[in-house]
Amino acid sequence: MDALNPGFTLIEGDHTLSSDDLRPDGVAVVEVAKTGVKGVVAALLGTGDVFMVRDASVPLPQAAEDKVWLQTSGTTGAPKWVGHSRDRLKARIRAGGDRARWLLTFHPGSFAGLQVLLTAMAGGHVLIAPGHGASIADMADLAVAEQATHISGTPTFWRAFLMALGDRSLTLKSVTLGGEAADQTLLDAVKARFPQAILRHIYATTEAGTVFSVQDGLAGFPRDWLNDELSVTGEGTLKVKGLDTGDMVELTPDRVLFRGRRDAMVNVGGVKVYPEVVESYLLELSSIQDVRVSARPNPITGHVLVADIVLKPDSGFDEAQIKAHLQGLPRAQRPVSLRYVDALDIGATGKKSRSV
Amino acid sequence: MTALDMIREDLRTLLHDKGAQTGEINADTPLLNGPYDIDSLDLATLVVTLEEKTGLTPFANGFVLFHTAGELAALFGG
Repeated sequence: MDALNPGFTLIEGDHTLSSDDLRPDGVAVVEVAKTGVKGVVAALLGTGDVFMVRDASVPLPQAAEDKVWLQTSGTTGAPKWVGHSRDRLKARIRAGGDRARWLLTFHPGSFAGLQVLLTAMAGGHVLIAPGHGASIADMADLAVAEQATHISGTPTFWRAFLMALGDRSLTLKSVTLGGEAADQTLLDAVKARFPQAILRHIYATTEAGTVFSVQDGLAGFPRDWLNDELSVTGEGTLKVKGLDTGDMVELTPDRVLFRGRRDAMVNVGGVKVYPEVVESYLLELSSIQDVRVSARPNPITGHVLVADIVLKPDSGFDEAQIKAHLQGLPRAQRPVSLRYVDALDIGATGKKSRSV
Repeated sequence: MTALDMIREDLRTLLHDKGAQTGEINADTPLLNGPYDIDSLDLATLVVTLEEKTGLTPFANGFVLFHTAGELAALFGG
């Protein structure tokens, strides 16, 4: 990639690197946890297929396509590889403007993380990279210490960031929310905390990339943006360039508001989880006769999963065993509340009712 | 039992279950940026537990900003 502005600076741990310190690296496999952001930048500057490894247990795909390969979360929790051409990754990147100090809140090997990285690289900005495994509280400390000016994160990130930041001094010029629907109360809280900042929330899909960016501080997007390429299906889902996104929307006189998913997918803190997968996993236990896993709205992570469990008669109740079994799931998939019931409500369709 | 007592008890259980260090928790203890290893999912879990114990849903209309154990307790009736 040719888009390294000489002004680019990377602050990572105790190191501050200038663009002169960053050379193209021909490596094809980048173990992001080991190389840090420096390794990702070097690989982006090179050519040929590059694999950004977050979970080394997933085999590399066969590739000879000159693409940047990222691991995305799959429906079962196992990551899958998706290849992106360098041109497409850069499609939304705009250089220019005042020198910004970007805090990287996304994983550097994720699509959203690369967008921030490429923006900083092409624009000659400062990129402040938290260490691998940094918590949101750590990121708040880093934002204050390095006086970040531009931050992009998920709604879950922003809720926790506001909490962890407290009243410490931080003046942001740009605040971006993406990855999940941003609700009005959160947009208001962010606006109140950073009144000088340009506030935008973005909507993106895996297939179409970033679709639009909303800057009026209101949830959803203006209804008059609907057109041939952005429309609402008969089922009430949003369609982008002919592809049904599965995101349910509600039309108000002047606004299109997001109302969750048509399928059972639930966003828990920016992680896509499927209650059915968790139900199957719990049913592996011989003591469980039936289970319904459903989403409950949560002020921190957007949603959490809760489980209603019907135990087999005389199976011997052992909650410790159930909890131990749940440790085998990624954290976002673990129900945070287990209720024991005699029977599950069955809806008219014969399906377990998942509404909460 | 006050909401602050519940928060104390639930946080200690939560930290203990994940093998993290526990200790004094008072009204001024920051939750996410404080002395204990508490992250977003822990806090989400804590809120669900409090909702179930108190029957209150202070976040029903959206996000309300809180920083400390005392501020969270106030949302659940003090």
